[in-house]
Amino acid sequence: MKQILHIFLKDARRFWPEILVSLALVAALVRLYPRQFLAPDFMPVPFWTHVLSDGLMGFLSQALVVLVPLSWWLLISRIIHAERLVGTNQFWLTRPYDWKKLLGAKALFLIAFLYLPIFVAQMLLLAEAGFHPLSYLPGLFNNLLLITGILVLPLVALSALTPTFAKMTLVLLGVILLTAGIALLVSNMATNTTGSVGGSLGDGLSFVVLLSCCLAVIVLQYSLRRTGLSWWLMAAAPILLFALAVFDPDQAMMNRTYPRPASGAAAPVQLRYAPDATHAPAMTNYTREAKELEINVPLLVSGVADGDLAILDAVQVTIDAPDGFHWASPWQVIYNNRLLPSTDKSSVNFIIRREVYDRLKSTPVTFHLAFAVSNAKVESVNQIPLPKQDFFVPEFGVCAPHFSSPPGGQPEIISINCRAALHQPGLTYVSMLWSDAPCPDSQSELSTGVLGAAWAGSLDEDLADFGITSVWETPLNFSNRFGDYRQGMLHMHQICPGSPVTFTRYITTRRTQTDLTLQNFHLPELSIGNRSIMLSK
Amino acid sequence: MNSTIRTENLSKRFGRTVAVDSISLAVPEGSIYALVGANGAGKTTLIKLLMNILRPNAGQAQVLGIDSAKLTGSAFNRIGYVSENQELPDGMTVGAMLDYFRAFYPNWDRALEDQLVRQFELPLKRKLKDLSRGMKMKASFASSLAYRPSLVILDEPFSGLDPLVRDELIEGLIERAPETTIFLSSHDLAEIESFSSHVGYLQAGRLLFSEEMTTLANRFRDVTITLTAPSALPANLPASWLDPQTADCVLHFVQTNFNEDSPRELAERFPSARDIACEPMTLRQIFLSIAKSSRGSQISRINKTSGQEKEA
Repeated sequence: MKQILHIFLKDARRFWPEILVSLALVAALVRLYPRQFLAPDFMPVPFWTHVLSDGLMGFLSQALVVLVPLSWWLLISRIIHAERLVGTNQFWLTRPYDWKKLLGAKALFLIAFLYLPIFVAQMLLLAEAGFHPLSYLPGLFNNLLLITGILVLPLVALSALTPTFAKMTLVLLGVILLTAGIALLVSNMATNTTGSVGGSLGDGLSFVVLLSCCLAVIVLQYSLRRTGLSWWLMAAAPILLFALAVFDPDQAMMNRTYPRPASGAAAPVQLRYAPDATHAPAMTNYTREAKELEINVPLLVSGVADGDLAILDAVQVTIDAPDGFHWASPWQVIYNNRLLPSTDKSSVNFIIRREVYDRLKSTPVTFHLAFAVSNAKVESVNQIPLPKQDFFVPEFGVCAPHFSSPPGGQPEIISINCRAALHQPGLTYVSMLWSDAPCPDSQSELSTGVLGAAWAGSLDEDLADFGITSVWETPLNFSNRFGDYRQGMLHMHQICPGSPVTFTRYITTRRTQTDLTLQNFHLPELSIGNRSIMLSK
Repeated sequence: MNSTIRTENLSKRFGRTVAVDSISLAVPEGSIYALVGANGAGKTTLIKLLMNILRPNAGQAQVLGIDSAKLTGSAFNRIGYVSENQELPDGMTVGAMLDYFRAFYPNWDRALEDQLVRQFELPLKRKLKDLSRGMKMKASFASSLAYRPSLVILDEPFSGLDPLVRDELIEGLIERAPETTIFLSSHDLAEIESFSSHVGYLQAGRLLFSEEMTTLANRFRDVTITLTAPSALPANLPASWLDPQTADCVLHFVQTNFNEDSPRELAERFPSARDIACEPMTLRQIFLSIAKSSRGSQISRINKTSGQEKEA
């Protein structure tokens, strides 16, 4: 421990300017970031004041989310390169350094000047946002673990593999380019080959791969200084991540994650193919050379029980032609397809290969769609009369009305901004009534208006999502926000203070599959760039 | 006598280049062992192998009884290492560096540290990065001697230093000699001749010989034989005669296995010789003759084991 402290104090004395910069940025983050979510009292100000104060500070508070990790990059490089592991002329190689203690000293430095400041900053931000920090300790530690795996360990590993900050920077740029290249490659081949359903297994494995490779490199470098071998290990990380992205393990687990319902059990939702004059299948493509085409199939929905919710998470397409041709797609993610008891129509988009389309476009085929469905039920309902200031929504977060001032008019509430602690909240349906008329004084007159509804959050909740800040803004994009044109201007609705806002939170009850088979299905004509050409069955 | 350093067939390659080629040597305890050789001979690589800075491709080495591949951490409490290429914590002052290193060594002698600081006239408050090369070397020496190491390893310690600094460092070293084994590499033969007890000669990664300085000096002689009549270079000359040359009546060569019988043997071999002169050689002369011979592919003529080779 004595040697650990000795090296730690040496580093702290030597790198005080870098420490100071990092601490100053974290302090500025705590001071400025709350501007992102704290609703200021509405106060008309001259334009230049707005630009200088709100605009500049807003930009700065966003920039700090990037600047803080950049300062860590410098800090980590400095302390690791102080006893650099690459090379043969370093003074410490022939001094009585114990590698475990050297590594311990570097870890202590990071705890003192990186982890502790950001931990305190995240607690202060939570408190500033209206949350009790001590209630979120597990999530805060979980976020520190994510910061470690995604930011700190890769930076430490890269520093351990390079002799100087400049070389580390070059390598880091190379890594960023490589990552972008891999992402591009994966996005191009995802649905072509196996595709990703973005499940937790693949994400978890990717995190473990990154964490393990970085840890192995760090330990190998500190214990044996085997730079060549460590580079191979480091190179294994992007290769494995690429493999995990292409051969998504969640694909293989879909039948276990979403088992087929037992015989006789009710389907999670009834789906029927239902083209009509306004809603027909469509085939779209954004370029003539594209290797993949998107097909849209209209659906009729029924069977969602009151108080329940069905979410179409993914779809797998199987096509069989009379000549024996068979093609099956991987599971493809479906975004934001939530079916309430009141939902009667929907549609689903998926990708098929161009070569498959070209072969089958003039042949009637059997189209089989397997849907991965999450069923959810209402966990809690909170109805809150909209106050003029911050209000707490249990199991959701803290919300605040967002004011706007029409020219020459009084400030009006045009939206609600919410924030959650450490991650997006659980899946919540938020509804309220828009008002077309000036807001009445009486509470009883608030019960009429246009329904505005929004979805927020996700059914999959972790202890924390990766973030430099601990407060997540949760936008509520209400439907029916715009009214009609009046006097040549698009009229916007407003929400009246005191108007009841209902937060309905859902939790998962089961995950299953449901099927839809279309016999003698004719693939629609291809429409380039839009979906205007539609053909029925 | 115990060996502080012992290597067996130690080899190191960098790609296709063999930097150290199957070296076996022993450095006796208490000796001042000078490893000499031209630039690029493999001296620094050998030292880095001994210090576990590099890993050997073959063979092994023992340093203070420890396998050099396991030489880490507290093992360096007994080893002082100074190299011309060594990076120091340049951001520190000399005083801060000594303070920093002091805590690592249980045997650090504060009085000796003060003495070395005075002896080398070290400016404690100046940053290392602002020091001259000579002053940096002195600081490095002080920080490597103050804990009274059992073994001091120096890699080209005097290279590029002015004579005054060089003498100061040698003086500091010699004062420590009774209590420590010193292993140093150099290509400056004159500077090591004065104080080394043992010497090893490295050429192109190979150790040509390794022995006591006195033995080396005793077995090398610059031999000049004056004959009665001009003569061509005789055939079948012994392998231990380096660089044999004739001019008129004079035959000249370097005998590498000279002993007390050699004058008689030479007289018997050249009965018509008018004069046979066997002059002692300086270290510099010895190495120059070896270097010249090796260029003429006569390396095999060099007797590593002082006179054991039978003359042809």
